Amino acid sequence: MATTSRLRRRYSSIREARHLLLTVAPGAAWIMVFLVLPSLYLMAVAFMTNGPYGLPQMPLSLESFKRLAGFGFLGWSPGNLYTLLRSLWQTIIATGLVVIVAYPIAYYITTCRAKWRPIMLLLVVVPSWTNQVIRTFGWMNLLAPGTPLSSFAESLGFIAPNMGLYPSSFAVTLGLIYNFLPFMVLPLYAAFEKLDLAQVEAAQDLYATPVRAFWYAVFPQTLAGLLAGVVLVAIPAFGMYVIPELLGGGKSLMLGNLVANQFSGGANWPLGAAGAILMLLATFIGLFAMRRIGKRLGGGEQVVI
Amino acid sequence: MNENVTEEISETSTQRPAVALKQEQSANHDASSIEMRRLHKRFGRDTVALDGVDLTIQAGEFFTLLGPSGCGKTTLLRILAGLEAPDDGSLVIGGKDITETPPHKRSVNTVFQSYALFPHLSVRDNLAFGLKMRGVPAEQRLQKVAEIAQFIKLGQLVERRVDQLSGGQRQRIALARALICEPAVLLLDEPLSALDAGLRSQLQVELKRVQKRLGMTFVFVTHDQDEAMVMSDRIAVLDGGNIQQVGTPAEVYERPATAFVARFMGHENLYAITASQDNWVETSLGRLLLAPSEQTSAQEGWLLIRPETLELGQDQPEGYNCLQGVVKERLYRGSRIEYRLTVGDITLMAVASNLGQRIHHVGDQVTIGVCPEDLVRVAF
Amino acid sequence: MRKRTLHRTLRGFWWLTLLFLYLPLAVVVLFSFNASNSAASFTGVSLRWYRRLLSNDVILSAFSNSMVLAVVSSVIALVIGCLIGYGMYRHRHRKLGWLIVLIYLPIVLPDIVFGISEMAFFVQVNRLTGLFQPGLGTMVIAHVTFQIPFVALIVYSRFVGLDPTLFEAATDLYATPAKRVLHFMLPTLKPALISAFFLSFTLSVDDFVISFFTSGPESATLPIYIWSAIKKGVSPEINAIASLMIGAVAIAAVFSMLVNRRQT
Repeated sequence: MATTSRLRRRYSSIREARHLLLTVAPGAAWIMVFLVLPSLYLMAVAFMTNGPYGLPQMPLSLESFKRLAGFGFLGWSPGNLYTLLRSLWQTIIATGLVVIVAYPIAYYITTCRAKWRPIMLLLVVVPSWTNQVIRTFGWMNLLAPGTPLSSFAESLGFIAPNMGLYPSSFAVTLGLIYNFLPFMVLPLYAAFEKLDLAQVEAAQDLYATPVRAFWYAVFPQTLAGLLAGVVLVAIPAFGMYVIPELLGGGKSLMLGNLVANQFSGGANWPLGAAGAILMLLATFIGLFAMRRIGKRLGGGEQVVI
Repeated sequence: MNENVTEEISETSTQRPAVALKQEQSANHDASSIEMRRLHKRFGRDTVALDGVDLTIQAGEFFTLLGPSGCGKTTLLRILAGLEAPDDGSLVIGGKDITETPPHKRSVNTVFQSYALFPHLSVRDNLAFGLKMRGVPAEQRLQKVAEIAQFIKLGQLVERRVDQLSGGQRQRIALARALICEPAVLLLDEPLSALDAGLRSQLQVELKRVQKRLGMTFVFVTHDQDEAMVMSDRIAVLDGGNIQQVGTPAEVYERPATAFVARFMGHENLYAITASQDNWVETSLGRLLLAPSEQTSAQEGWLLIRPETLELGQDQPEGYNCLQGVVKERLYRGSRIEYRLTVGDITLMAVASNLGQRIHHVGDQVTIGVCPEDLVRVAF
Repeated sequence: MRKRTLHRTLRGFWWLTLLFLYLPLAVVVLFSFNASNSAASFTGVSLRWYRRLLSNDVILSAFSNSMVLAVVSSVIALVIGCLIGYGMYRHRHRKLGWLIVLIYLPIVLPDIVFGISEMAFFVQVNRLTGLFQPGLGTMVIAHVTFQIPFVALIVYSRFVGLDPTLFEAATDLYATPAKRVLHFMLPTLKPALISAFFLSFTLSVDDFVISFFTSGPESATLPIYIWSAIKKGVSPEINAIASLMIGAVAIAAVFSMLVNRRQT
């Protein structure tokens, strides 16, 4: 009696395990072989030596990390560090400006009639459906020397004559804002939509000024969405490749360009891999911080996932 | 919303559906009797859902599994349907052991609590689903759908989408979808629990009529003892994965086998028997005389006093047990009046039909008469 | 009174933001009809750049590469992602944390790290074994990798939204496992599968960075062609091909708006 029971249970658990394997294994194996394995290989490359044609060679070393910190054949130079700092700086500025633009927009959408809201969201999102290269190309057209915008800036004395707004750091920042605005509007909109208006009314009822009512009743409720947006914007912005390459005109490179350049034209794979590890670290720190803060605030995770 | 509550499945309908005819003709009652032997089921390491259930259900019976949530009634039903495999024991339907038979090969259909109507299909395609899976040709399917739709008086709905139906309509469609396959056994998993009270009691009567007309074996799961009593030929009361009692509604209500059954059937007047001799028992209410048939060798147990058997008033017939009580609370229920009385510091509930006799007031001293024939001993 | 002013200010800001979002795209479309090849001044309407597109074999082959890549990768991702999404649903009571991490990995990994990892891997495996010659094949592999999670999550959330007893009802009504897939699961999933396919397709066409690093000499897609044309010096033809891609997105947007309308 006990044996039939055990046999039946074992048979059904084997069947369940086989089902799990059959459905999940192809996809899991695909991601393991074509993403996890390559990423691990890339990490290994970071600890190898640079060989001919930029390919990695065997003696393991920390050479590439030293190079990333600026120590080269000709002694220390700040070039790579400048790139790192510029990446960080651009990320912070762009994320901050995206918040400033997205916050009122997300709020405005929630105040509109329910039937318009999906369409308004769609209008915000549609430009990001077009190819990143094309969007950036559009800005190149807009900001090039001789265009109305450049002439206007010139007449105000912001830029030297015949220089144009592009290529420049300014153009890169603008491109980043343009690129990431929807990523901030969506989670903020979700937060505003769930906003508990009773809290705002309670604050007003308790004699809060509009500014105080916003700060104590509205802002905390949108914080989770805001954080989700910051992660969605800051992580990809830090590793951005296309926008600095096209709008920065080689003068305003970011970490993504530093890494990518090591893999094209036979430069230095280990150095690029070291840069990639830095980017991965930034990504995972960002996600981890997000999860921690999200858990404390409650609901933050759901916004991201 | 039109719930079609006034339309009933009339017993005298001239149009008898093919489903009904076939069931009556075959009349091979053994084909749909159910035998469960030593059914065991555990979930995880230590949740015992069924602890060796033995149960026989006759062909053509309206059989109800009754119990609180977590008593194992739903697990038992799912094992009958084949949606859950027992860890041990066997299940025989119509003389055939189907313990290992997958659900799609069992001649058993289920009406689910959530109805589980397919949202991507119309009512017609929902009704025809089982026939289609069995490979019945399209022409026959259409004919059967038309018949069954007429049988449940929802013929006008077959083109609708499922989300356009009301709760009562969904319930009937779910029933029809299961009946159309002419299963040997129909399982119903709390099919009425999502409906409001009025519709619910109407559908209880309807369901019972359908079962009688088709002569099909119905196994019905509910946690509502009133529903179980109204509908069932026999009831099995379950608790903790064990069957506490099997019997007709009257047996289960009037002579509950255990204190659990008594409480679950709504009885409150249960008193521990502290001593017993011949047909006398000692309880917290005092010494009471029982009918000679209640005499057992058991010293302990419970004494059940059904509230509707109590007589309140000065004149008590010869041979009655008489208690002196005080009215503490009176609830007016229209057709009847409920009293909460105390005898000493022990509470006793009494129910009197509202026949216009004297109504007792809160604070009144009353004599409570208990006929020995109405006292029931209940095991632990 | 003050509330009205706030609302009006916000409305103004909204229109400004829309201008900001659509101006770059509008400029591209406008200049694609420019008669002259100046990038700074519009001199008259003409279709010459569109005509030039049709006679440019490189662009045509880039277009066909983009389409083949998008369709093939989306179909593969649909099959694999659908399976994994169903597996996640069916076994959702188990501890599948590792699987969730694995699924989210392609989403959270920065594009550039994703691209160079695959490139470095493919190059080395190719050197050792001759497999994975960079080209459309390696691009399909890379695209499927980032499409799988989206398909899996769409399928999973569709299943989670269903009454779980529907699966049992199908079996109870005599559906064999195969018939259950055919007559219940696939029809119920159909809307989810369609939107998963379109999302995969869009992601594939939209991708530049990962394609760029996994492509071979013969397998340039439209974004890669545009990129190299921009790097070589702007040719007005880019405006035309870019406008066509913007047009395709606009059509997709209208389509999704209509679908949205019908659902509500």
